[in-house]
Amino acid sequence: MGKQISIFVENKPGKVNKITGILEKAKINMKAMTIADSGSFGIIKLITDDNEKAFNILREKNFLVSFQNVVVVEIPDSVGAFHKVAKILEDRDINIEDAYGFIMEEGVKAALILKVAGADIPKVEEILEKNNYRSIEKFNV
Amino acid sequence: MFWNEKEENISEEELLSLQLRRLAGAVERAGRSSYYGNLFAGKGLKGKKIKNLDDIRDFPFTTKDDLRESYPSGMLATSMDDIVRMHASSGTTGKSTLVFHTGRDISNWANIVARGLYAVGVRKSDIFQNMMSYGLFTGGLGLHYGAEKIGALVIPIGTGNTERQIDFFKDLGTTVIHVTPSYLLHMGHVLEEKGLSPSESFNIRIAIMGAEPHSEATRKKLEETFGIKVYNCYGLSEMNGPGVAFECTFQGGLHLWEDNYFAEIINPDTGQVLPEGEEGELVLTTLCREGMPIIRYRTKDITRFISGRCACGRTHRRIGRMKGRTDDMFIVKGVNIFPSQVETVLMETPGVDKNYMIILDRKEGLDILSVQIEIRRDFFRGDLYQLRDLQEKLRERLKHVILVTPSVELVEPGSLPVSTGKAKRVIDKRRL
Repeated sequence: MGKQISIFVENKPGKVNKITGILEKAKINMKAMTIADSGSFGIIKLITDDNEKAFNILREKNFLVSFQNVVVVEIPDSVGAFHKVAKILEDRDINIEDAYGFIMEEGVKAALILKVAGADIPKVEEILEKNNYRSIEKFNV
Repeated sequence: MFWNEKEENISEEELLSLQLRRLAGAVERAGRSSYYGNLFAGKGLKGKKIKNLDDIRDFPFTTKDDLRESYPSGMLATSMDDIVRMHASSGTTGKSTLVFHTGRDISNWANIVARGLYAVGVRKSDIFQNMMSYGLFTGGLGLHYGAEKIGALVIPIGTGNTERQIDFFKDLGTTVIHVTPSYLLHMGHVLEEKGLSPSESFNIRIAIMGAEPHSEATRKKLEETFGIKVYNCYGLSEMNGPGVAFECTFQGGLHLWEDNYFAEIINPDTGQVLPEGEEGELVLTTLCREGMPIIRYRTKDITRFISGRCACGRTHRRIGRMKGRTDDMFIVKGVNIFPSQVETVLMETPGVDKNYMIILDRKEGLDILSVQIEIRRDFFRGDLYQLRDLQEKLRERLKHVILVTPSVELVEPGSLPVSTGKAKRVIDKRRL
């Protein structure tokens, strides 16, 4: 099971900068970041090369942080790769709540991060594995 | 010009003897309620007769807490059958405080409101647009009945809906309005934006201001902008509502209707009655009320008696504009709110951390109450929906308790002042 870090932030200038600065200082490499916005506040979702360390350091700096279980799988970096995964999940009636990703090797492979209902995670991992999609262990905690 | 010359121009001796007679009656009637019955018995005051006005000082004060504790009907002094109306205001920790009126109470109340309105020039021929909230809040209905008693045409439009207010100003030729100062300021801006001159477009002569503290400078500004006269009116729901004291055309303080209320000014710390003219907390006793007499009610409002007879000729003494409060109550949209009410809701809601701030601001002339909270670390799941649900839940719960819909703002941990018991929890950015 993969993990992403969720950080609560007020919707104000300089918030992202502060977080990226903390991670830089701690020599943590950010892999992907997205922001879900709800007006005056939002949640930053983050995947790094050391989630445990990033979580602890952000927490030390008084951020409101939490781990969330996600599915992180490797897909080819090619046209239609995500669509295939989405189709497999749709056929099994699984709802994708959130999805983002990052390229691991240009034109070769990418990481796909999927947020599904908590109870669906093992099922999704199993289904994807059966379809030859590999979970990326590195981002698992 | 008097609404009732005999009542308003009463000689001082006559007024004092009327007060004495009525005060004795008030204490006697109050003793019929279960609350005062028990209280008087416990303090050895049962059956004690008031022989001179100072005798009232032997009786304990009544506070908002006492009213809350006697909820719903512990202070009711008549049978519920005789009650024709109930009003309520929000209590300090959630429970409302209720006030019951008999038919005669309502009629007496309307009479003193009519007195005040007449004193500032409202007449039968006037068109009175009542831009205050109706309902449990006393502001709307209180003035409504007084204006009707005079025979004016009353438009019970209530608050908000600026366009319709303006239409009625124009189409019906409104001459008198009852409004909060902040809303009237806002209307001034709206009218100017529309290219309408607030002072030349309408027939308005008089505005009655209540429910919201404001400065003399604001009054002057409104009078100039609209080309009208603005008069202050004071009241509180425990003492009926608006109309307890009213300015006259001389604008030199508010005549407190002493045939209906016995007033004392006390040192809020010691409870000692202060010499006339000194500033302190206003304490009021209802002299005429049947449904729910209240003895020595601590209003928490700071004022003083203004010495000397008013040039208008009315005998009833004047009190100065309210200087402030002895507690931390604040007023939003005319509704009294205590920080403790907000705090109680926050502390009872899972996920909310202990520090909070209440921000009062004003947008387009209307008050806005925002509550800022931090989220507890062990509550946060990293989920936007969870936080939106919390916001929604808090908004609903707060609205239920304080009767005003707040905006709930979630802020990052550590951004609010740390709770030390003395931390300032209310920031009022409104300017009046």
